[in-house]
Amino acid sequence: MIDIVNVSRVYQRGADEIHALESVSLHVAKGRFVALMGPSGSGKSTLLNVLAGLDRPNSGDVVVGGKRLNDLSEDQLAEFRAHTVGFVFQFFNLIPVLSAVENVELPLLLTKLSRADRRQRAETALRVVGLSERSDHLPRQLSGGEQQRVAIARAIVTDADLVVADEPTGDLDARNAEEILSLLQTLKRDFGKTVVIVTHDPRAEKWVDEVIHLDKGLLLETRPGGASREMAASR
Amino acid sequence: MKYLPFILRNLGRNKLRSLLTASAIALAIALVCILRTMPAGMDSFLSSIASNTRISTHNEAGMVYAMPYSYLQKVRAVPGVVAAISWQWFGGATDLAKGVEFPNFAVDPEDFGRVYEDWKIAPQALEDFRKYRDAAIVGRATLLKKDWKVGDVVTLQSTVFPLQLSFRIVGEVPNPQAMQFYFQREYLTQAFAATGTPIDTTGMIWSRIDDPERVAPAMKQIDEMFRNGEAETTSETEKSFFGNFFGSLKGIVTIIMIVAGIVTLCIVFIAANTASMSVRERVGEIAILKAIGFRKATIFSTLLAEAVVLSTVAGIAGALISLGLTSLLRSSAGSGGPQMGPLTGFIVTDAILIQAIFIAFFIGILSGWLPALGASKRSVAQTLREVF
Repeated sequence: MIDIVNVSRVYQRGADEIHALESVSLHVAKGRFVALMGPSGSGKSTLLNVLAGLDRPNSGDVVVGGKRLNDLSEDQLAEFRAHTVGFVFQFFNLIPVLSAVENVELPLLLTKLSRADRRQRAETALRVVGLSERSDHLPRQLSGGEQQRVAIARAIVTDADLVVADEPTGDLDARNAEEILSLLQTLKRDFGKTVVIVTHDPRAEKWVDEVIHLDKGLLLETRPGGASREMAASR
Repeated sequence: MKYLPFILRNLGRNKLRSLLTASAIALAIALVCILRTMPAGMDSFLSSIASNTRISTHNEAGMVYAMPYSYLQKVRAVPGVVAAISWQWFGGATDLAKGVEFPNFAVDPEDFGRVYEDWKIAPQALEDFRKYRDAAIVGRATLLKKDWKVGDVVTLQSTVFPLQLSFRIVGEVPNPQAMQFYFQREYLTQAFAATGTPIDTTGMIWSRIDDPERVAPAMKQIDEMFRNGEAETTSETEKSFFGNFFGSLKGIVTIIMIVAGIVTLCIVFIAANTASMSVRERVGEIAILKAIGFRKATIFSTLLAEAVVLSTVAGIAGALISLGLTSLLRSSAGSGGPQMGPLTGFIVTDAILIQAIFIAFFIGILSGWLPALGASKRSVAQTLREVF
């Protein structure tokens, strides 16, 4: 699903050059649940942005779902994201003036679906995350965990193959964090999605197939997550 | 259209701010609409007070210069002239401290009714005007303003001659906008004679022509007649006369139109500031929209549409406000508000309404363009790094 080869990303911050990624190579197979972990400033969010088509590397190749993102224009990248990637962010980032179902419907505005079809799909996505009964609520009327589930519904409503999440549990209590991680694992297990998350949360390790550890822009190690170990044990 | 609900929701995000911005745009558009009615309103007003068969003749050097009173008889003899009277400015005031509050003239009573037959002055009033040396006919606006009525005796102190005369009001000019005060020239002549200074000049001559087609030839003939005379003359139609008389008002209208343009420009800046604030507050949300696949063009269009929808709706409201205000002015004048004067002729036409809505539309485009462009160009990864 994801092939990253020798990717480097350098930012200019004032007079300083920040080497966010240095010659990182990575392969994530389709249907895997992967966690990018590491301390702040390790480059994990930059790597997520690069593989999701939000940012461009200074060097190296990024191929996602068979598409070489380096070759795409801004508009082509936007189209790629609309069809291939679902996004979940730390602070939920729902549009406050839209109801839950309208937030979920938002990415479908970019498709040619009819209004009724869009609404039906959005309601189905909300049902998947267990929030169909709260579809008319505004974000402020939902708890943090519920808002993050709406964000996940928005990420899957276009049936994107890749779901990326940046600190999806960062603003949640322990119970809600577990629920969200479980939900992301369900996306991988039941719907065959490839899920890549950035997290500081050590609880995430037991839910993922792989943990990729970064520090100072370097990929230090890739190790199996709890889900892989469980699967191996069950065999 | 599928983005319209999204656009409307965003406009309702900060209702007070949207309402205040819309109010500013609506008031500016209402102001522009009312000001745009002024040129046509002035023309309508002049048409309402001026006859197309009445002409004025005055000294070519200017209205403040006199002409021989003998000119009146010569004008009366011009073919097509049905009747003619002289006008002599008296400059009378009821209270010198207040100055001249209404125009007052000495006129020739015999032809007065025939020159102004379209004014529909009561026959009895005209009869009394001829009969009594101290008679006066007064415009309805002045009667109302001074709380005078037919039968009252009033005294005017001239501000240009050393004379104080008392008058008996015998009738009115039944037009709610009429302010003039007319009295017999003979009364003035006798008053002057009493001071030992005879008066043999006049300021102006008003004539009525029997046929609109003969107005231009009559004016030409009158002016030709006095060419190289004691005082050369200029004749003009009543509409042209009042047009020149209100010329300074037209200058003010031009200034007001310029001010209205500047006000509109200010409104563009206010609306642009609102759009910028709105975009700045939503930088994170816009980045999320881009992340989930919204293109630059879509972001730009939806943000621009917010400004355009707000401005256009406010513009329609402003146009309706101007329509209501001008209707109110007209009905107010109809129910005894003569001081409204020319304002009563100001009508917001369909063309003005359409122009106003287009102006509002362009205010929206101008105010929304730069904020929308800035937001659409901003890098999504950089914004996500900065905001989250």
